[in-house]
Amino acid sequence: MIANIALHEWRRQRAGMLFWLLLGFGQLIIAWLFFAQLQAFADLVPQLKASGSTLGAMDLVITPTLNSLVLLLLLGAPLLAMGSLAGETRSGRIALWLSAPVSGHQIVFGKSLGLWLGVLPLVISGTLTLATLGFGVDLDWPRFALALCGLLLFSLWLGCVALLISGLFDHPAAALAASYGVLLFLWLLDSFSSPAAPWHWFALLPHIKPWFQGLLRSQDIAFFFGTGLAALMATIFLIARRRGEV
Amino acid sequence: METLLLARGISYGSAKAPRLDRVDLELAAGDRLALLGVNGAGKSTLMQVLAGVLAPRSGEVRIHEQRLDQAGPSLRRHIGFLPQPVPVYSELTVTENLEWAGRLHRLRGGKLESAIRRVLRDLELDPFAARLAGRLSTGMTQRLGLAQAVLHEPEILILDEPTAGLDPLQTEQIRQLLGGLSASRSLILATHLLDDVQRLCNRVLLLDSGRKTAEHAVTPEIDLLAHFRQPRHPAEARE
Repeated sequence: MIANIALHEWRRQRAGMLFWLLLGFGQLIIAWLFFAQLQAFADLVPQLKASGSTLGAMDLVITPTLNSLVLLLLLGAPLLAMGSLAGETRSGRIALWLSAPVSGHQIVFGKSLGLWLGVLPLVISGTLTLATLGFGVDLDWPRFALALCGLLLFSLWLGCVALLISGLFDHPAAALAASYGVLLFLWLLDSFSSPAAPWHWFALLPHIKPWFQGLLRSQDIAFFFGTGLAALMATIFLIARRRGEV
Repeated sequence: METLLLARGISYGSAKAPRLDRVDLELAAGDRLALLGVNGAGKSTLMQVLAGVLAPRSGEVRIHEQRLDQAGPSLRRHIGFLPQPVPVYSELTVTENLEWAGRLHRLRGGKLESAIRRVLRDLELDPFAARLAGRLSTGMTQRLGLAQAVLHEPEILILDEPTAGLDPLQTEQIRQLLGGLSASRSLILATHLLDDVQRLCNRVLLLDSGRKTAEHAVTPEIDLLAHFRQPRHPAEARE
């Protein structure tokens, strides 16, 4: 049932204009940023060689473009997620779901996987664009693969968090605004809090950047799985409360 | 006769201004029960509580003697629910909407395909099978909603104003379809149209401001309009 719900969500997204607009504009922006970084890198190569720097295409082209892809996902995922629960409530279709013999955890896991499927094409098309650099330059492929793993985990986490926020509201626009607020806060938390502060652990950037630097850290995996699962459990609770099961 | 659905002391909303106030209801096999009341009487809220969409503040709903909020989601397979507005995905076709409603009710493969063929035929939706749901007329959208509700052949049909917003011809067509669909099922029908009650139901429950005010059999002699002429609140009676 979870797979059925995920595929339904994905089919619904593909049937709408928003998904294609996001994918099209997202890919356009990534391609433009990629070529801009590449041009800057090409201009820098003589100086890098002269100074004996170890920085390469991975640091100066791939990583900055991946950072931009993360920002694009942060902007795009809430747009897809706003219709997921808040949109169903607003349109009255939530009645179809809640009156059906489907459990809350099936709805939540299915919808979050569906959201992931929705953002996956942008992740894949973006990384494929960057991977084309491998035709002309020696890339650090293990590091590139780790960066892709980080992006996949981040996009899955994003779906879980955006779904929770969508479940808290009856209006998609309210869910969208709240999602942007929460994600922006987590994004900026790194800049305005000291690394020693306990809440700094919730800052998003310090858990994303290591993947792009070739570092696989258990604390980053724990952050994405821990907070993502907590978001899913909270969404299951919201549905159970709506149905009077808790 | 076997009791299919039993609701006891259903209250919903705040204690000071309840949208439903201690409503009792019983539906036996073969019953066709109308919920009659003016707009805002609490019909739709009661329907959603009975279908398991909303949780009551107090009271319980039982289906086949099992509590709806405790027995797990599988108990909901006995229910076919048509809420207002009709829950369809406008960006999907009629067939895709039906496929999804069937999958939600655990129909798969050949069983799902034959169920879709059956409801497309029974509800005369065949010519519109490939049309986007968002491009259907109001009457056709109601038909699609009905098709979704009966696709998994539930024992209990809960229909919230299935003739709302339809012209007289469409209303008559939906009534005829409902007559056929409810022949083999138990039906709870929320409406404010007296004709719907007289033609489709054998019992009527009257709601006013969230309270059950009367319940009796539907007979040709019954004057349902009299209930609406009565003062609704003590304050009105004094005026």
